[in-house]
Amino acid sequence: MASIKIKDMSVSYNKGKSYVLDKLNLDIKDGEFCVFLGPSGCGKSTAMHCIAGLLHPTNGEIWFGDEIMTSADGKKKDKTFVPPQERNIAMVFQEYALYPNMTVRENMSFALKTKKAPKEEIDKRVAYMAQMLSIEQLLDRRPAELSGGQRQRVALGRALVRDPQVFLLDEPLGNLDAKLRDQVRYELKKIQEQLGITTIYVTHDQTEAMTMADHIVLMKEGHIMQQGTPNDLYDHPANEFVAGFLGTPQINIFPCEVKGDVLDGGAFQLKVPESLKACLAAYKGKKVDLGIRPSDFELAENGGEGIHVHVDSIEPLGDAYLIYVRVGEKVVVFKYTGETAPEEKELVLRPNMAKLHLFDPTTEDRINK
Amino acid sequence: MQGNISSIERSKAGQQAQTVRVKPKWHMTALHVVYYAILIALLVFYMLPFWGTVMTSFKTNSEVMTSTPITPPTAWTLEGYASAMEELGLPLLTSLMVTLFGAAGSVFLGSICAYALSKWKFRLNNVFFIALVAATYLPFQAILIPLLQTINALDLYDNIWGLVLVHTVFGMPMCTVMMRGYYADVPDALVRQAMIDGNGMWQIYRKIVVPNTKIATITVFVFQCTSIWNEMLFALVLGGYDSKPATIALNELAGTMAAEFNVQMAGSLILALPVLVLYIFMGKYLISGQMSGAVTAS
Repeated sequence: MASIKIKDMSVSYNKGKSYVLDKLNLDIKDGEFCVFLGPSGCGKSTAMHCIAGLLHPTNGEIWFGDEIMTSADGKKKDKTFVPPQERNIAMVFQEYALYPNMTVRENMSFALKTKKAPKEEIDKRVAYMAQMLSIEQLLDRRPAELSGGQRQRVALGRALVRDPQVFLLDEPLGNLDAKLRDQVRYELKKIQEQLGITTIYVTHDQTEAMTMADHIVLMKEGHIMQQGTPNDLYDHPANEFVAGFLGTPQINIFPCEVKGDVLDGGAFQLKVPESLKACLAAYKGKKVDLGIRPSDFELAENGGEGIHVHVDSIEPLGDAYLIYVRVGEKVVVFKYTGETAPEEKELVLRPNMAKLHLFDPTTEDRINK
Repeated sequence: MQGNISSIERSKAGQQAQTVRVKPKWHMTALHVVYYAILIALLVFYMLPFWGTVMTSFKTNSEVMTSTPITPPTAWTLEGYASAMEELGLPLLTSLMVTLFGAAGSVFLGSICAYALSKWKFRLNNVFFIALVAATYLPFQAILIPLLQTINALDLYDNIWGLVLVHTVFGMPMCTVMMRGYYADVPDALVRQAMIDGNGMWQIYRKIVVPNTKIATITVFVFQCTSIWNEMLFALVLGGYDSKPATIALNELAGTMAAEFNVQMAGSLILALPVLVLYIFMGKYLISGQMSGAVTAS
């Protein structure tokens, strides 16, 4: 087990003209489940491949615990570089990469055999991991004879059986169907907690990130947008990108103007609550973006104060309804948890004033801390 | 995965829908008759010389003189084969040795080169590859004299190992080019995974790349065997007298004997037999090997 520390790591494929990763700084604690989250092309897989030693960063340092793995300073040759086979890491690729010429058992014991572990030890560990992932009956089959879900488990088992100091997963659930994905997700998290291996998990799926992570690193275009616990990122997004990336359906953003004590959204006016007055003081007469999550609305009974909306369409989810409504020209979605969907076409919504998110429209940074 | 399976099933259903039996129209039947007539004519055209060879090889020398080549012999005899073997026995053994060792050597070297070129990035990687491709187009006549001098200097003239060396070296570029294509189909993820599992370059080659490309290796080996077995130029120039391969001996059979056609035909068939057998038994691998190069491994 080890903590991981990344210092000022940059990766460039064209000698510094542009950077795929730009000055990444990261601290992952021992035993933590860390998720690299972001849209495709944000550099999350690149960062992971650097940690694995499959890629050489242009600049920066990577430490496992107090051992330095990579250190580069822009020159052709790295100052220090520990090759991947000596890092004691395990990795699961999106395409599984099971060795087609070996049975499941051979696949799982391959790394241990390479390390020349004693045979009884290998058998014991493979049997234990096979039982844990319930793939005992598959041990003598070849990868071609397995279904997608089974291959996935074998790939996980092969990685876990080695007792690595760092466990790297590159979109491992991407090829599974939705139901299987939920199941494997749950099992993976459970096993990780039991074994306590420092884990980095790359995904573009915010649900996976929210449900599994101890620590989310949300990236965009080679930069870290925000990092912290899932709740930190969800409740206090640092900017509009983070707010929009986490949560389904997406957060609603209303361009507003601060007019005295009132937020004027054109089609509605909201009184600024006491808690927000201080941070909005600098924005008097200026524009701000108001973000409200779909679950942070409630229906105002018998009219009353709030945002007047016109119902566009209703999507039942079983336990709740997604109601698409029109505010002026803008379509907004909110989540209604009542027993039956409201029948009226005209509704009044009251946002949860404690959970408003305010952003600066030019920098897109959060205003209310 | 899921998507793959369903798309395959869908395409199967599509094929079934298309292969509904329809009663052929009259002009279709007429066309078929024409097609088959042409095919049969071509078949006869190509097979007749072979048929003549087989028939002649089983005749006595006197019958060869008095009959047309394509008529079956009145009395079947192995006389021709016996005399041919007297001349070809030792050269056949030489050919076999040169072929097996030469093909093994060039496939081994080619395989290592192909592995390095397809799976590892290094400076001038492409330059090496282009040089190898160029080498496959090298006209051997152009280098024959210097080659002969080199072999002489190495004291390998009229020596089986001289021929093995030459075939290993000159077969290597072709083997590399062919195998590089097969190795490129081994997913890079497997190589990365093996690296993370603690393996170095050589272990990955031995444990991952070679076991997963067995069919490719067999294909290239067979290809190499046939071309060395049939080769005449190096054999003629470097083979000398004691270690001349069978192709040369067969040629001498035609030149020195007073037109004993039955012996010549028997000799030709003996020489062609190993290649034929190889293709008949290995055909399955050859075809699937060629296919596996054509589509990406999933």
